[in-house]
Amino acid sequence: MVFDYGHRIQTQSDKSNSSATLRAFLWGRNWRITLIRAAVWVGICFLIFKVLLVHIEVIGISMLPTYKEHSKNWINRLAYVWHEPQRGDIVGIRLVPENSGVVNQLIVRFKTPPHFLLLKRIVGLPGETVAFSRGRILINGKVLKEPYETLNCDWNIGPITLGADEYFVVGDNRTMPEQDHTKGHCKRSQIIGKVLL
Amino acid sequence: MKIIPRGVALVAIAAIAFWIWTILFPAPEKIIRRRLDDVAQNVSFQANENPIAIAMKSEKLATFFSTNVEVNLDIPERAQHSIVGRAEIIQAAAGAHMQVKTLDVKFLDPEIAVSPDKQSATVSLVVSAKSSGETDPIVQPMKFYFQKIGRDWLITRAETLRALT
Repeated sequence: MVFDYGHRIQTQSDKSNSSATLRAFLWGRNWRITLIRAAVWVGICFLIFKVLLVHIEVIGISMLPTYKEHSKNWINRLAYVWHEPQRGDIVGIRLVPENSGVVNQLIVRFKTPPHFLLLKRIVGLPGETVAFSRGRILINGKVLKEPYETLNCDWNIGPITLGADEYFVVGDNRTMPEQDHTKGHCKRSQIIGKVLL
Repeated sequence: MKIIPRGVALVAIAAIAFWIWTILFPAPEKIIRRRLDDVAQNVSFQANENPIAIAMKSEKLATFFSTNVEVNLDIPERAQHSIVGRAEIIQAAAGAHMQVKTLDVKFLDPEIAVSPDKQSATVSLVVSAKSSGETDPIVQPMKFYFQKIGRDWLITRAETLRALT
């Protein structure tokens, strides 16, 4: 070790030590294991962000005040693997129903996510009769309590009986005229998952 | 010992032959997908496109449809009209040029169902149309009916769908 005017001069062995540290920091002790680890992480990220979660941006005002226009969110496609959709859930719905020729429903649910989804709240479950009377939802004739519904609504829609595989969905913003709001019943296969946040 | 390289060569030749076969005789789904891309490309236009090119695109657009095509559009709050025949398709395309400066049309998530005799097909898809001055695209599910007329797959009917019934 040589000192010059009190400054520490780097020797050859110091240089090789620091480059080894840098290499260890970048590649780890064994570059093969680091490469495998990176590949595993890339695989996990791909699985989570391309298959299990669908990134969405809300367009339109039909889910106000729960979701503002242009807010970002995720759809969790694992939400309905172990149980069926529940009343009150906000779900992502395919605009185009699947062709009936598909054999496995699970494949349908996890295939490439569509470019556009409808974001709606489930209010009616399969087999139920849904109606709107002066803005209040009636399920099998009984008023549905909706604590999330804070905006005024005056819709009147006649009773609709849902099929064994159908859900009635509607947005939270029901201030506009009834005919201007996209709502109605969808098939189970159209529901791809539940909103994460 | 030459079995493995010969086997590999055989598999490679088979794969290349299959690839050439799919290029020469593509599946109806592939042809329909390509035609939909062509339709979207010919419907779309930019602000700086010259009038001759636009007229040619409109003429070409009509060739993707059968002579007696029927297009029924029912988009709440936006459009509600029917187009019948190729001449009206050209007129509608020209009308779109007059109304907006740019139009970017995309046919997304097509679900293609080809009939067993492979002479007709239905396609459910989502149309995304973004014109100049609009921040968000108009999104509309549609259904297209294709028929194989001669060697071409032509659109015989198109109609808007409702996502929720």
